[in-house]
Amino acid sequence: MEFITTPHAEHLPDPVFHWAWLILLAPIVGFLFQAALGRRIELALGKTAGRRLLGFAAVVPVAAGFILSVLLAVRLAGMDEHSRLVITSWFPWIDLQTLLVPFELRLDPLSLTMCLIVTGVGSLIHVYATGYMADDGDYSRFFTYFNLFIAFMLMLAMGNNLPLVFIGWEGVGLCSYLLIGYWYHDIENAKAANKAFIVNRIGDWGFALGIFLLYWVYASNQDLLPLGERRYLSFDVILPLAEQVLAGYGPLIVSVIPLLLFVGAVGKSAQWPLYLWLPDAMAGPTPVSALIHAATMVTAGVYLVARTHVFFELSTLSMAVVAGIGAFTALFAATVAFGQTDIKKVLAYSTVSQLGYMFLACGVGAFGAGMFHVTTHAFFKALLFLGSGAVIVAMSHNQDLRKYGNLRKYIPITCWTMLIGWLAIAGIPPFAGFWSKDEILASAFFSNLVQTPQILWFIGWVTAFLTAGYMTRMMMLTFYGNGERWRTAEAHAHADHSQEHFHADHGAQGEHDLAYFLTDDEVRAIEEEEHEHHHGLTPEHEPREVLPSMWVPLVALAALSLVGGAALSGLNPFAHLLGVHIPHLFEAWNHPSVGLSVLDEASAFRESIAIEWALIGASIGAAVLGIGLFARRYIKGLPESEAEPQGLQRLAGEQWLYDRTMVRLFVDAGGKFANAFYRIFDSGIIDGIFVNGSAKLVGAMGLLLRRSQTGSVRFYALAIAVGVVFALSYVIYTTTR
Amino acid sequence: MAEVPLYAYILLSALMFAIGTAGVIIKRNPIIIFMCIELMLNAANLSFLAFAKYHTTPLATTPIEKWNAHMTGQMAVVFVMAVAAAEVAVGLGIIMAIFRLRHDVDIDEMSAMRG
Repeated sequence: MEFITTPHAEHLPDPVFHWAWLILLAPIVGFLFQAALGRRIELALGKTAGRRLLGFAAVVPVAAGFILSVLLAVRLAGMDEHSRLVITSWFPWIDLQTLLVPFELRLDPLSLTMCLIVTGVGSLIHVYATGYMADDGDYSRFFTYFNLFIAFMLMLAMGNNLPLVFIGWEGVGLCSYLLIGYWYHDIENAKAANKAFIVNRIGDWGFALGIFLLYWVYASNQDLLPLGERRYLSFDVILPLAEQVLAGYGPLIVSVIPLLLFVGAVGKSAQWPLYLWLPDAMAGPTPVSALIHAATMVTAGVYLVARTHVFFELSTLSMAVVAGIGAFTALFAATVAFGQTDIKKVLAYSTVSQLGYMFLACGVGAFGAGMFHVTTHAFFKALLFLGSGAVIVAMSHNQDLRKYGNLRKYIPITCWTMLIGWLAIAGIPPFAGFWSKDEILASAFFSNLVQTPQILWFIGWVTAFLTAGYMTRMMMLTFYGNGERWRTAEAHAHADHSQEHFHADHGAQGEHDLAYFLTDDEVRAIEEEEHEHHHGLTPEHEPREVLPSMWVPLVALAALSLVGGAALSGLNPFAHLLGVHIPHLFEAWNHPSVGLSVLDEASAFRESIAIEWALIGASIGAAVLGIGLFARRYIKGLPESEAEPQGLQRLAGEQWLYDRTMVRLFVDAGGKFANAFYRIFDSGIIDGIFVNGSAKLVGAMGLLLRRSQTGSVRFYALAIAVGVVFALSYVIYTTTR
Repeated sequence: MAEVPLYAYILLSALMFAIGTAGVIIKRNPIIIFMCIELMLNAANLSFLAFAKYHTTPLATTPIEKWNAHMTGQMAVVFVMAVAAAEVAVGLGIIMAIFRLRHDVDIDEMSAMRG
């Protein structure tokens, strides 16, 4: 292994940075352990002890990764801010004359930020999952996928070149597919998994093309690169030279590179128009939703944009596109969340909306603010998802908000922690969400990269109001109101329950549609599981608080949501406005990777303190207004009109018909096109002309020639004689000539 | 006694072969056709023998080599006769079988293999 550091480095980095490999290797070892030995351990030790050991073995690698990441982050923070970059190279992976792709890790503030989020929030979610999945049929399979996911995510975050990032990128997509379809006995879950995988392919297509284009650009500008440099896709080669190399290209190439990378980000981070997969991905177990679809994987797109921000900054068009898509998605998803009746779907659209905020920040040049929101969002969204999981467990796997109500009486810990998450996402100071959201809004207001950025600020502001609104609706319907609605609504409970878990009709013979896919053991396991879950919500149901393994992570995340934002922001902007100099910790740590904050550069910010106070007031006002208005509407419980959403709300719940239109446009129309193509090209040309055509030609010739087969021996004799005469004549003619 | 010239043998052989061919084509009785085929084979044999008698090779210098050169054609005739005998045996067997089946051996009626 060898080190590469920036030219600014005055001394060789600490050998402790070699340990970075352990961060990556630990979850891989955990994955192999679970995959190879999981079932055997459970069989050998029995269900209880075996699962305790497996759960422990699943948490340890991630937690170890977190401790190492903290260690490395502390070391890195101790270095001079311009030399905060260590690259450790392991072995050459692709070694060609025209391209060298080593297996190398990049340790800089940005990648370590991601590592800290992934391993930190990830290990809390792992702990939670050991409790949540305790009664599931296939414990080790779940943690196999979970550890593998962490490994791929870390590779994505730490890889120093685009191919390594791409491996991680595809790997998390794979794990996402596996985990969404974790309860694959239900065909709906399998379909959701397929949808996520296929929609992500569209994004990956863009990302891959972007990588190819970057290779082409850099490989054809060798003279600008250091002598003998063949690592055309490594960040430490391409990022510092981006401006020089792209100076020789027209605006087309300069814009297309970041836009292709952004297509990848749009797919992975569930932005409009590719957000479709994320709400469906809620089919997976709740810890999956928390880990993958809220806290880590979906932030990969923001990470990619922040990592390659130099390319985005070179093209105003791409920045405008990123900001526009981000703002639109934030607003769009926030409106859709109002129409949802499934608690996890509300949170899913909220995730899409918050990711929109992050891209809005990136689009106005505030990459640091975007990453800050990634961090705080990881805290409170993981908290909210895990809390919703606790609610779902307490309500025996019913996810319908309309069946909840007054749950604060039964599950107080979940209620209190989720209240913190709710205030955090709504943007009430001093909870975590406020600091990052306010920074994004202020950056949008003062951005000098786009014309009239105030429009973007206004969209963001409206979204903040809506965010507070739909989250209030969800919290009120779940925890408040006088009615305990599941006691009066058992008629529906049965049907809704079936959406989450595999249910075949319990006929007399109890046969399953899919039974021929499964072994007898598996069928028996499913039937047992059905019996276990089949009780559903009954009027006598008493919700119970979850196990410590589930509420301890909730409390930890609640603490982070409570103080994380304030601590990382150093109480900025308040400290700054009041004239107290406290560094913005997150910006100070991250700016070598993602550039200075827009706010530091924007002169208007310095000129008018009044405007900034007004902005802070506006963003707090939006949150308070949203909470107040919707708390009034929902505090008493479910309004009559929302038993079945009507009108606009119903339309919003159906994503303003976007999903349906897309399905009609691409899935149905695509199917028709494929069918037509199949009929014309496959059936018509390939089968018709080539396959059957050649056979028919031979057949037709046969029909002609069969007439010569008269069956008359004397005719054959004549034919032979005539043939011999002709053949001999020919031979004699040619030999005597 | 003047030697019979080669062209006379060839002429006779060609005549026999032509008669045989015509017989094979126009006759409907398989026995006659067999006889015609024998005629053709023997026409070929006659040619062999004639060529064997007149054939010498400039490379053949010693008496034994000259003798060998003559013998090649004569050997071919022995083979043709052996093959013809086998063919007649098989052919007559087939004809017997057909006759037992159909009580008729008219060759024009045997057209079951018509395409």
